[in-house]
Amino acid sequence: MTTRMTAHADKKPFDPDTFLGSSVAMIVSDHTSTGRADGSPEALIVRIAATRDRDAYAQLFTLYAPKLKAFMMGRGLSANEAEDLAQDALLSVWRKAGYFDPSKAAATTWIYAIARNLHIDGVRKQKRARDLPEDLWAPEPDAAADVAVIGAEDARTVAVLIDTLPPEQIEVIRLSFFEDLSHGDIATALSIPLGTVKSRLRLAMMRLRTAFDTGTRV
Amino acid sequence: MSKISHHIDELLLLDYHHRRLNAGQSLLVATHVEMCGHCRSQLRLFDAIGAALLQDMPPVAMRADALELALARIERPEEGEAPAAPVVPPYLQGIDLPETLRQTAFKKRYWAAPGVWMAHVDTPKDGKSLTYLMHVKGGMEMPVHDHHGLEMTLVLTGTFSDHNGVYRPGDCISCAEGDHHAPAIAAGEDCLCLIAALAPIAPKTLLGKLLKPFARI
Repeated sequence: MTTRMTAHADKKPFDPDTFLGSSVAMIVSDHTSTGRADGSPEALIVRIAATRDRDAYAQLFTLYAPKLKAFMMGRGLSANEAEDLAQDALLSVWRKAGYFDPSKAAATTWIYAIARNLHIDGVRKQKRARDLPEDLWAPEPDAAADVAVIGAEDARTVAVLIDTLPPEQIEVIRLSFFEDLSHGDIATALSIPLGTVKSRLRLAMMRLRTAFDTGTRV
Repeated sequence: MSKISHHIDELLLLDYHHRRLNAGQSLLVATHVEMCGHCRSQLRLFDAIGAALLQDMPPVAMRADALELALARIERPEEGEAPAAPVVPPYLQGIDLPETLRQTAFKKRYWAAPGVWMAHVDTPKDGKSLTYLMHVKGGMEMPVHDHHGLEMTLVLTGTFSDHNGVYRPGDCISCAEGDHHAPAIAAGEDCLCLIAALAPIAPKTLLGKLLKPFARI
């Protein structure tokens, strides 16, 4: 736990080898002097923000739109609705690119946050004055020691840790995050008590949190 | 800001992440999250979990003209500005409010008792739930009361305590069905709280019962 804190305090340069997942790693082709890979999704968003780079946008769209479509179909949207949502999410990425901070968030995490908000706003037909992603993923105003920053590396650690969870915990995580079921609906779906759903979720969170715990919290 | 020691329960945060809370609870959680790095981290974990699942999705092909459409859409100007921030009511001017509450419209305040004023969020009625600011003069004690449904209280300024502990700015206290307590405000500084209740409170004392119609809580 303490070593994690040291790692954060040192403000390590962005490491292109620690992106989320393998498909992203495959397109990492080049390392710049800043330690950021040119073709990485993070670098693509930075290029969009800096120069409104249409080519970078096309690459990012090709990489993420089909995954977002698949993800939203998993949440119960029709193919057409999921396609539209993927379009809207990537359009938001283009518009909000200036808010993206690659030292704070992995591209996939940031894009997920944008798509999640769009999905919920669409479902609830409820417009909010403030969007969550740029707020939640904005740089911390004061780098207080108790604020855990989840960089790209930590996001990848989360992905790896999910695979190490017991199957019954992976199941509740998937039903909650992927199928977007409430705790009560998960209990019904699995025919287990609500308390069991909650304790499985808590155990899973406890484990996943070790990906980026600062070790300063009690 | 002093260290926040009373956080939002992680499963409630998970409901917030999936936007399953009602408007008042969402406002309270959003305000706490703005004040609390610990709970922001927790929400980021949820996004990282979702992103991990997204990353592993086998892609589903977009329509043939999808990229063409996407490149056309980014050329169009962005329509619709974010709504302007509401005017800060006079009674809140000079108070260092979190940005989330600065963006929130409140009705006129009213005096619920000597030294106690309240101001409800200016939103359409949402079932039995109530969301309001409560400002209590330093040194006062509130009447003992029961709770009929989950009530969340977020301290914004000042300090209060009950039999369970001391609560400072940023701290969030949840009272469940059947809980009862008699909060006491620390002397010296007035206490401003945001409260999101699923049901009206039930005063235990005669004084509290007498005050209730006036307090509208």
